[in-house]
Amino acid sequence: MSGTEFDTSVAHQARMYDYLLGGKDNYAADRAAIEAQLEIYPDLAFAALANRAFLGRAVRYLAGGAGIRQFLDIGTGIPTAGNTHQVAQDIAPESRVVYVDYDPIVLAHARALLVSHEAGATDYIDADLRDTGTILAQASELLDFSEPVAVTLVAILHAIPDSDDPHGKVARLMDAVPPGSYLAISHMGTGLLDRETQHGLESHSDRMMQQRLTARSREQVAGFFEGMDLVPPGVVRVDEWRQESGAGGAGNSALWGAVGRKR
Amino acid sequence: MNTVVPGSDQPFSGLDDAPVEATVLRMMLGGQLRRLREAAGITPERAGFEIRASRSKISRLETGRVKLKPRDVTDLLTLYGVTDESVRAKFQSLVRQSNTPDWWSKYSDVLPGWFEMYLGLETVASTIRSFEIQFVHGLFQTEDYARTVTRLGRKTAPADEIEARVRLRLSRQALHARQKPPRIWSVMDEAVLRRPVGGAAVMRGQLRHLLEAAKMPHVTLQVIPFSRGRHAAESGSFTVLRFEERDLPDVVYLEQLTGAIYLDQRSDVEQYLEVVDELSGEALTPAATTRFIEQVAKEI
Repeated sequence: MSGTEFDTSVAHQARMYDYLLGGKDNYAADRAAIEAQLEIYPDLAFAALANRAFLGRAVRYLAGGAGIRQFLDIGTGIPTAGNTHQVAQDIAPESRVVYVDYDPIVLAHARALLVSHEAGATDYIDADLRDTGTILAQASELLDFSEPVAVTLVAILHAIPDSDDPHGKVARLMDAVPPGSYLAISHMGTGLLDRETQHGLESHSDRMMQQRLTARSREQVAGFFEGMDLVPPGVVRVDEWRQESGAGGAGNSALWGAVGRKR
Repeated sequence: MNTVVPGSDQPFSGLDDAPVEATVLRMMLGGQLRRLREAAGITPERAGFEIRASRSKISRLETGRVKLKPRDVTDLLTLYGVTDESVRAKFQSLVRQSNTPDWWSKYSDVLPGWFEMYLGLETVASTIRSFEIQFVHGLFQTEDYARTVTRLGRKTAPADEIEARVRLRLSRQALHARQKPPRIWSVMDEAVLRRPVGGAAVMRGQLRHLLEAAKMPHVTLQVIPFSRGRHAAESGSFTVLRFEERDLPDVVYLEQLTGAIYLDQRSDVEQYLEVVDELSGEALTPAATTRFIEQVAKEI
């Protein structure tokens, strides 16, 4: 079910993100792609950090006030600081987290590095987000789908083109979890950058990356939460989502972020 | 907002907080000297001449492979146009710190110089990744296994020398008990499990030890079974050491019969990283590896 060949000569989203976050698991092509993107969009490093911080705040919210103890983290990426299970298990050590990635190398890193607190559990699934059947079947080995689950799709849905029906895939996942479950999304946005920058980034990713990226509007991102209640403040830039006091950002993250609760 | 821009570095970044191991300090001071030399537009030959040494000495010094002499540092800083007394004083104080004896100095009788560097790096690494095709990694060897392997290489060595080498190898394993041990991620070929080093009893003990090691949260073991023939390592065994400090590059360690090679040029290191990444993707998962080792242990 692996979606990618291991090819370090072409930039890869997970490794580019690793580089932006200060990791060392990246290759020359990944760094070249980032350097080129920084030329077009200097706030990219801010965006990567803001996205990571959004994941942290969202999981803290979910494990904290929302009382969620089961997480399905799709599009895990190369482990760095503050991964989903660490944030959740800091609040509730018994939290169970299933990580899903379609890249076998990324997943190998996840297995090696995302080691659970002994009171909780982590599991890893090698699957593409488009293959919701495999994800749900395998995730049910660790997660109890009669209890609420938080599904996190952080900076991954923009790698799914419209032709692969991303809204349908998300609906399928959320159909499988009970009321009181949550969905957290961050997504490369339109309407957040001037046209020239937006266009420059898209044509760059088409030329230099393994993944084709599709930015979506605020309305399209809100559409993923159809039939759910959005947690305030709704769909906003990731750096604005429940920003903790005093930590205001001075960049444009160009990513939409939102969390919703299934009715 | 301070965003982290790749490649940025401040002088002495990360050196002000906690005490740093001597080896890391040498590497960081060396890196700092290299940047100062390059900024001043001075060749390694010229720098070497200034301190009565060769170009390769400068290279070893800038990569932290040799101890720094206060007088050499003084001369180099002058050559590089560093006149700020506070910077020079800070340098000298760090040079003194970087020359404190290392834990393995008591084994100097049996310790070849080329391996001493590895011990320094292993002691301070934040991540140790390895691929093993022949023997269990030294950090996971039992005493009996280590003694057998040590004897294999030195048939005529006196018993006390063998024992000193075995003790040195086992002392390295103290890092497992550290408050914050390094992440150790070892991929091994099935041959490592099958080769009957020291006979059945030694091997059974070694496999049990591996199973125990695999339970430690900082350890990840993966086996590549013979049935997965496509594996990527034409290279033989190697170890990649990674350091917490952002300025420090990964180092690849390749051991040979009479010496070792250390690679830290990014273009070299990345080829090994690529191989070890690919091997990790191809090997059995850690959970399947445990079942596999249990099975092999039963078959002995």
